[in-house]
Amino acid sequence: MSDLNWKKYFSGVVLLVLTITIWSCDGGKKLPILGERDWVTKTVDGKEVVDTIYNVIPPFTFTNQYGEKVTEKVVENKIYVTDFFFTSCPTICPVMKKQMIEVYKEFKGNPEVMILSHTIDPEHDTPKVLNTFAKDLGVEGNQWLFLTGPKEDIYAIGQKSYLSAAQEDKTAEGGFLHSGAFILIDKEKHIRGMYDGTTEEGTKKLMRDMKILLEEYKK
Amino acid sequence: MIKKGLIILTVLAAFSCQSAEELKTEQYFAEGYQIYTMNCANCHQADGKGMANLYPPLEGSEIIKDKSAMACIIRYGMKDTIIVNGKPFHRPMPANPKLQELEIAEIITYVNMKWGKDSIYTPIAAVTKALQNCKEN
Repeated sequence: MSDLNWKKYFSGVVLLVLTITIWSCDGGKKLPILGERDWVTKTVDGKEVVDTIYNVIPPFTFTNQYGEKVTEKVVENKIYVTDFFFTSCPTICPVMKKQMIEVYKEFKGNPEVMILSHTIDPEHDTPKVLNTFAKDLGVEGNQWLFLTGPKEDIYAIGQKSYLSAAQEDKTAEGGFLHSGAFILIDKEKHIRGMYDGTTEEGTKKLMRDMKILLEEYKK
Repeated sequence: MIKKGLIILTVLAAFSCQSAEELKTEQYFAEGYQIYTMNCANCHQADGKGMANLYPPLEGSEIIKDKSAMACIIRYGMKDTIIVNGKPFHRPMPANPKLQELEIAEIITYVNMKWGKDSIYTPIAAVTKALQNCKEN
Protein backbone atom coordinates (compact mmCIF):
# COMPACT_ATOMS: atom_id res chain seq x y z
CA MET A 1 0.00 0.00 0.00
CA SER A 2 1.42 3.39 -0.94
CA ASP A 3 1.82 6.24 1.49
CA LEU A 4 -1.08 8.17 -0.01
CA ASN A 5 -3.38 5.20 0.27
CA TRP A 6 -2.48 4.80 3.90
CA LYS A 7 -3.34 8.42 4.56
CA LYS A 8 -6.67 8.04 2.82
CA TYR A 9 -7.36 4.86 4.72
CA PHE A 10 -6.38 6.44 8.00
CA SER A 11 -8.52 9.55 7.56
CA GLY A 12 -11.41 7.29 6.59
CA VAL A 13 -11.05 5.39 9.84
CA VAL A 14 -10.83 8.61 11.85
CA LEU A 15 -13.98 9.91 10.20
CA LEU A 16 -15.81 6.68 10.91
CA VAL A 17 -14.78 6.69 14.57
CA LEU A 18 -15.84 10.33 14.91
CA THR A 19 -19.20 9.63 13.31
CA ILE A 20 -19.83 6.69 15.57
CA THR A 21 -18.80 8.68 18.64
CA ILE A 22 -21.03 11.65 17.82
CA TRP A 23 -23.86 9.39 16.93
CA SER A 24 -23.69 7.28 20.09
CA CYS A 25 -23.56 10.44 22.22
CA ASP A 26 -26.95 11.51 20.94
CA GLY A 27 -29.00 10.43 23.94
CA GLY A 28 -32.43 11.48 22.68
CA LYS A 29 -32.08 9.46 19.49
CA LYS A 30 -35.18 7.97 17.93
CA LEU A 31 -35.00 5.07 15.55
CA PRO A 32 -36.23 5.66 12.00
CA ILE A 33 -39.26 3.95 10.50
CA LEU A 34 -38.15 1.92 7.51
CA GLY A 35 -39.91 0.75 4.38
CA GLU A 36 -42.09 2.29 1.72
CA ARG A 37 -44.48 4.98 2.80
CA ASP A 38 -47.53 6.69 1.41
CA TRP A 39 -49.31 9.96 2.09
CA VAL A 40 -53.02 10.69 2.36
CA THR A 41 -54.80 13.99 2.74
CA LYS A 42 -57.59 14.05 5.28
CA THR A 43 -59.90 16.77 6.44
CA VAL A 44 -59.83 17.24 10.21
CA ASP A 45 -62.01 19.97 11.75
CA GLY A 46 -62.35 21.62 8.37
CA LYS A 47 -58.59 21.72 7.79
CA GLU A 48 -56.60 19.66 5.31
CA VAL A 49 -54.04 17.43 7.02
CA VAL A 50 -51.41 15.22 5.37
CA ASP A 51 -50.97 11.87 7.06
CA THR A 52 -48.05 9.50 6.48
CA ILE A 53 -48.86 5.83 6.11
CA TYR A 54 -45.91 3.64 7.01
CA ASN A 55 -45.09 0.11 5.98
CA VAL A 56 -46.85 -2.12 8.52
CA ILE A 57 -46.37 -5.85 9.10
CA PRO A 58 -49.73 -7.40 8.14
CA PRO A 59 -51.59 -10.06 10.14
CA PHE A 60 -50.12 -13.56 9.83
CA THR A 61 -50.84 -17.13 10.84
CA PHE A 62 -48.01 -19.61 11.37
CA THR A 63 -47.31 -22.66 13.53
CA ASN A 64 -44.68 -22.63 16.29
CA GLN A 65 -42.28 -25.29 17.58
CA TYR A 66 -44.96 -26.58 19.97
CA GLY A 67 -47.42 -27.17 17.12
CA GLU A 68 -49.56 -24.21 18.22
CA LYS A 69 -51.15 -21.68 15.90
CA VAL A 70 -49.45 -18.29 16.17
CA THR A 71 -50.88 -15.03 14.84
CA GLU A 72 -49.82 -11.37 15.06
CA LYS A 73 -51.61 -11.33 18.45
CA VAL A 74 -48.58 -13.05 19.98
CA VAL A 75 -46.54 -9.86 19.53
CA GLU A 76 -49.28 -7.51 20.69
CA ASN A 77 -47.78 -4.79 22.88
CA LYS A 78 -44.28 -6.18 22.33
CA ILE A 79 -41.28 -5.26 20.26
CA TYR A 80 -39.74 -8.17 18.43
CA VAL A 81 -36.77 -9.29 16.38
CA THR A 82 -37.31 -11.54 13.40
CA ASP A 83 -35.14 -13.50 10.99
CA PHE A 84 -35.25 -16.21 8.33
CA PHE A 85 -33.29 -19.47 8.45
CA PHE A 86 -33.55 -23.23 7.98
CA THR A 87 -32.36 -25.96 10.30
CA SER A 88 -30.18 -27.82 7.78
CA CYS A 89 -28.42 -24.66 6.60
CA PRO A 90 -24.66 -25.10 6.47
CA THR A 91 -23.66 -21.49 5.83
CA ILE A 92 -24.78 -18.35 7.63
CA CYS A 93 -27.61 -19.71 9.81
CA PRO A 94 -25.41 -21.23 12.51
CA VAL A 95 -23.59 -17.90 12.72
CA MET A 96 -26.90 -16.03 12.94
CA LYS A 97 -28.24 -18.35 15.62
CA LYS A 98 -25.07 -17.90 17.65
CA GLN A 99 -25.63 -14.14 17.51
CA MET A 100 -29.38 -14.41 18.22
CA ILE A 101 -28.61 -16.38 21.38
CA GLU A 102 -26.85 -13.25 22.65
CA VAL A 103 -30.03 -11.25 22.02
CA TYR A 104 -32.08 -13.96 23.72
CA LYS A 105 -29.85 -13.98 26.79
CA GLU A 106 -29.81 -10.17 27.01
CA PHE A 107 -33.61 -9.84 27.00
CA LYS A 108 -34.58 -13.15 28.58
CA GLY A 109 -37.73 -12.82 30.66
CA ASN A 110 -38.53 -9.31 29.41
CA PRO A 111 -42.30 -9.45 28.73
CA GLU A 112 -42.00 -6.66 26.15
CA VAL A 113 -39.53 -8.52 23.92
CA MET A 114 -39.94 -11.50 21.59
CA ILE A 115 -37.98 -13.25 18.87
CA LEU A 116 -39.64 -14.85 15.82
CA SER A 117 -37.46 -17.05 13.60
CA HIS A 118 -39.15 -18.19 10.36
CA THR A 119 -38.00 -21.29 8.54
CA ILE A 120 -37.77 -20.92 4.78
CA ASP A 121 -37.72 -24.70 4.34
CA PRO A 122 -41.12 -25.62 5.82
CA GLU A 123 -41.25 -28.97 4.01
CA HIS A 124 -38.32 -30.20 6.08
CA ASP A 125 -38.71 -27.95 9.11
CA THR A 126 -41.94 -29.23 10.63
CA PRO A 127 -42.94 -28.11 14.14
CA LYS A 128 -41.33 -31.30 15.46
CA VAL A 129 -38.01 -30.59 13.70
CA LEU A 130 -38.11 -26.99 14.96
CA ASN A 131 -38.86 -28.24 18.47
CA THR A 132 -35.72 -30.40 18.52
CA PHE A 133 -33.68 -27.59 17.00
CA ALA A 134 -34.84 -25.10 19.63
CA LYS A 135 -34.11 -27.57 22.45
CA ASP A 136 -30.65 -28.34 21.07
CA LEU A 137 -30.01 -24.62 20.86
CA GLY A 138 -30.97 -24.32 24.52
CA VAL A 139 -34.20 -22.37 23.92
CA GLU A 140 -37.25 -23.03 26.07
CA GLY A 141 -40.54 -21.28 26.72
CA ASN A 142 -42.41 -18.86 24.49
CA GLN A 143 -40.16 -15.85 24.19
CA TRP A 144 -38.31 -17.17 21.13
CA LEU A 145 -40.68 -18.83 18.67
CA PHE A 146 -39.63 -20.86 15.63
CA LEU A 147 -42.31 -20.56 12.98
CA THR A 148 -43.30 -22.71 10.03
CA GLY A 149 -46.25 -22.56 7.64
CA PRO A 150 -47.17 -22.45 3.96
CA LYS A 151 -44.09 -21.63 1.94
CA GLU A 152 -45.85 -18.88 -0.06
CA ASP A 153 -46.91 -17.11 3.13
CA ILE A 154 -43.42 -17.22 4.62
CA TYR A 155 -41.74 -15.99 1.44
CA ALA A 156 -44.39 -13.29 0.92
CA ILE A 157 -44.09 -11.84 4.42
CA GLY A 158 -40.30 -12.07 4.19
CA GLN A 159 -40.00 -10.26 0.89
CA LYS A 160 -42.89 -7.79 1.01
CA SER A 161 -43.22 -6.97 4.68
CA TYR A 162 -39.90 -7.61 6.37
CA LEU A 163 -37.94 -6.45 3.28
CA SER A 164 -35.71 -9.47 3.64
CA ALA A 165 -34.86 -11.84 0.83
CA ALA A 166 -36.03 -15.41 1.29
CA GLN A 167 -36.41 -17.81 -1.58
CA GLU A 168 -35.61 -21.22 -2.91
CA ASP A 169 -32.44 -21.41 -4.98
CA LYS A 170 -31.12 -24.77 -6.04
CA THR A 171 -27.71 -23.27 -6.81
CA ALA A 172 -27.22 -21.89 -3.30
CA GLU A 173 -25.49 -24.07 -0.74
CA GLY A 174 -28.19 -25.89 1.19
CA GLY A 175 -30.76 -25.04 -1.51
CA PHE A 176 -32.10 -21.73 -0.21
CA LEU A 177 -31.10 -18.14 -0.52
CA HIS A 178 -31.82 -15.77 2.30
CA SER A 179 -30.44 -12.66 3.89
CA GLY A 180 -28.55 -12.62 7.16
CA ALA A 181 -30.64 -9.77 8.48
CA PHE A 182 -32.14 -9.36 11.92
CA ILE A 183 -35.19 -7.10 11.66
CA LEU A 184 -36.49 -5.03 14.57
CA ILE A 185 -40.25 -4.38 14.74
CA ASP A 186 -41.95 -1.98 17.16
CA LYS A 187 -45.31 -2.28 18.94
CA GLU A 188 -47.05 -0.50 16.05
CA LYS A 189 -45.61 -3.15 13.68
CA HIS A 190 -43.24 -0.76 11.93
CA ILE A 191 -39.73 -1.82 10.94
CA ARG A 192 -37.34 0.24 13.06
CA GLY A 193 -34.03 -1.28 12.06
CA MET A 194 -32.23 -3.93 10.02
CA TYR A 195 -28.98 -5.45 11.23
CA ASP A 196 -26.32 -7.83 10.00
CA GLY A 197 -27.08 -10.95 12.01
CA THR A 198 -23.89 -12.63 10.88
CA THR A 199 -21.62 -10.29 12.82
CA GLU A 200 -21.09 -9.39 16.43
CA GLU A 201 -21.11 -5.66 15.57
CA GLY A 202 -24.49 -5.91 13.84
CA THR A 203 -25.94 -7.79 16.79
CA LYS A 204 -24.55 -5.32 19.33
CA LYS A 205 -26.11 -2.47 17.40
CA LEU A 206 -29.43 -4.33 17.38
CA MET A 207 -29.33 -4.80 21.16
CA ARG A 208 -28.49 -1.13 21.64
CA ASP A 209 -31.38 -0.10 19.39
CA MET A 210 -33.78 -2.45 21.19
CA LYS A 211 -33.02 -0.59 24.41
CA ILE A 212 -33.58 2.76 22.68
CA LEU A 213 -36.89 1.49 21.32
CA LEU A 214 -38.04 0.18 24.71
CA GLU A 215 -37.28 3.64 26.16
CA GLU A 216 -39.79 5.15 23.72
CA TYR A 217 -42.56 3.25 25.46
CA LYS A 218 -41.53 4.14 28.99
CA LYS A 219 -43.23 7.55 29.05
CA MET B 1 -3.04 -8.95 2.04
CA ILE B 2 -1.38 -8.64 5.42
CA LYS B 3 -2.31 -12.20 6.31
CA LYS B 4 -0.78 -13.52 3.11
CA GLY B 5 2.32 -11.46 3.75
CA LEU B 6 2.54 -12.89 7.22
CA ILE B 7 2.28 -16.40 5.92
CA ILE B 8 5.02 -15.76 3.39
CA LEU B 9 7.17 -14.20 6.10
CA THR B 10 6.54 -17.13 8.42
CA VAL B 11 7.37 -19.53 5.64
CA LEU B 12 10.55 -17.65 4.78
CA ALA B 13 11.62 -17.45 8.41
CA ALA B 14 10.86 -21.12 8.84
CA PHE B 15 12.77 -22.02 5.71
CA SER B 16 15.95 -20.40 6.86
CA CYS B 17 16.37 -22.37 10.06
CA GLN B 18 14.05 -25.33 10.09
CA SER B 19 13.96 -28.75 8.59
CA ALA B 20 11.74 -29.51 5.60
CA GLU B 21 9.34 -31.36 7.87
CA GLU B 22 8.91 -28.45 10.24
CA LEU B 23 8.42 -26.16 7.30
CA LYS B 24 5.69 -28.35 5.88
CA THR B 25 4.01 -28.54 9.28
CA GLU B 26 3.86 -24.75 9.48
CA GLN B 27 2.50 -24.53 5.95
CA TYR B 28 -0.21 -27.11 6.62
CA PHE B 29 -1.16 -25.45 9.89
CA ALA B 30 -1.41 -21.95 8.38
CA GLU B 31 -3.39 -23.11 5.37
CA GLY B 32 -5.46 -25.45 7.50
CA TYR B 33 -6.45 -22.52 9.67
CA GLN B 34 -7.75 -20.61 6.64
CA ILE B 35 -9.65 -23.56 5.20
CA TYR B 36 -11.10 -24.36 8.62
CA THR B 37 -12.31 -20.77 9.00
CA MET B 38 -13.98 -20.87 5.59
CA ASN B 39 -15.54 -24.32 5.73
CA CYS B 40 -15.90 -25.52 9.31
CA ALA B 41 -16.02 -22.60 11.73
CA ASN B 42 -19.64 -21.62 10.97
CA CYS B 43 -20.81 -24.63 12.93
CA HIS B 44 -17.83 -25.91 14.94
CA GLN B 45 -16.84 -22.30 15.75
CA ALA B 46 -13.47 -20.58 15.54
CA ASP B 47 -12.62 -21.79 19.05
CA GLY B 48 -13.52 -25.41 18.20
CA LYS B 49 -16.10 -25.53 20.99
CA GLY B 50 -19.09 -26.26 18.73
CA MET B 51 -22.49 -24.80 19.56
CA ALA B 52 -24.86 -25.91 22.32
CA ASN B 53 -26.31 -29.34 21.51
CA LEU B 54 -26.50 -28.52 17.80
CA TYR B 55 -22.91 -28.85 16.58
CA PRO B 56 -20.28 -30.96 18.35
CA PRO B 57 -17.01 -29.54 19.69
CA LEU B 58 -13.65 -30.57 18.22
CA GLU B 59 -11.79 -29.46 21.32
CA GLY B 60 -11.52 -32.42 23.67
CA SER B 61 -13.06 -34.78 21.09
CA GLU B 62 -11.60 -38.29 20.84
CA ILE B 63 -12.79 -38.66 17.26
CA ILE B 64 -10.32 -36.14 15.83
CA LYS B 65 -7.52 -38.57 16.70
CA ASP B 66 -8.97 -41.05 14.19
CA LYS B 67 -7.72 -39.30 11.08
CA SER B 68 -9.16 -41.82 8.63
CA ALA B 69 -12.61 -41.31 10.08
CA MET B 70 -12.09 -37.57 10.03
CA ALA B 71 -11.08 -37.57 6.36
CA CYS B 72 -14.18 -39.57 5.42
CA ILE B 73 -16.51 -37.34 7.45
CA ILE B 74 -15.05 -34.16 5.95
CA ARG B 75 -15.34 -35.47 2.38
CA TYR B 76 -18.66 -37.35 2.58
CA GLY B 77 -20.40 -35.78 5.57
CA MET B 78 -22.26 -37.92 8.09
CA LYS B 79 -25.81 -38.77 9.09
CA ASP B 80 -25.36 -40.97 12.15
CA THR B 81 -25.62 -39.78 15.70
CA ILE B 82 -22.18 -39.02 17.05
CA ILE B 83 -21.25 -38.95 20.73
CA VAL B 84 -18.67 -36.30 21.55
CA ASN B 85 -17.42 -35.67 25.08
CA GLY B 86 -20.32 -37.77 26.36
CA LYS B 87 -23.03 -35.80 24.58
CA PRO B 88 -24.99 -37.11 21.58
CA PHE B 89 -25.36 -34.98 18.43
CA HIS B 90 -28.00 -35.92 15.88
CA ARG B 91 -27.74 -33.30 13.17
CA PRO B 92 -26.25 -34.43 9.84
CA MET B 93 -23.01 -32.86 8.68
CA PRO B 94 -22.95 -31.88 5.00
CA ALA B 95 -20.41 -33.37 2.60
CA ASN B 96 -17.58 -31.23 1.22
CA PRO B 97 -17.01 -32.65 -2.26
CA LYS B 98 -15.07 -29.57 -3.33
CA LEU B 99 -12.26 -29.99 -0.82
CA GLN B 100 -9.09 -31.53 -2.30
CA GLU B 101 -7.09 -34.20 -0.49
CA LEU B 102 -4.40 -31.67 0.32
CA GLU B 103 -6.98 -29.34 1.85
CA ILE B 104 -8.47 -32.15 3.93
CA ALA B 105 -4.97 -33.05 5.16
CA GLU B 106 -4.43 -29.42 6.10
CA ILE B 107 -7.70 -29.24 8.04
CA ILE B 108 -6.83 -32.45 9.91
CA THR B 109 -3.38 -31.03 10.65
CA TYR B 110 -4.80 -27.76 11.96
CA VAL B 111 -7.48 -29.39 14.12
CA ASN B 112 -5.13 -31.96 15.63
CA MET B 113 -2.36 -29.48 16.35
CA LYS B 114 -4.77 -26.92 17.73
CA TRP B 115 -7.07 -29.16 19.77
CA GLY B 116 -5.31 -32.51 19.80
CA LYS B 117 -1.77 -33.45 20.76
CA ASP B 118 -0.16 -33.49 17.32
CA SER B 119 3.04 -31.58 16.74
CA ILE B 120 3.54 -32.65 13.14
CA TYR B 121 1.44 -32.46 9.96
CA THR B 122 -0.83 -35.17 8.60
CA PRO B 123 0.40 -36.12 5.09
CA ILE B 124 -1.81 -36.24 1.99
CA ALA B 125 -1.03 -39.94 1.59
CA ALA B 126 -2.89 -40.68 4.83
CA VAL B 127 -5.96 -38.90 3.46
CA THR B 128 -5.75 -40.60 0.07
CA LYS B 129 -5.61 -44.02 1.75
CA ALA B 130 -8.44 -43.20 4.16
CA LEU B 131 -10.71 -41.98 1.38
CA GLN B 132 -10.31 -45.26 -0.49
CA ASN B 133 -11.69 -47.13 2.50
CA CYS B 134 -14.56 -44.91 3.64
CA LYS B 135 -17.59 -46.82 4.86
CA GLU B 136 -21.06 -45.84 3.75
CA ASN B 137 -22.71 -43.64 6.29
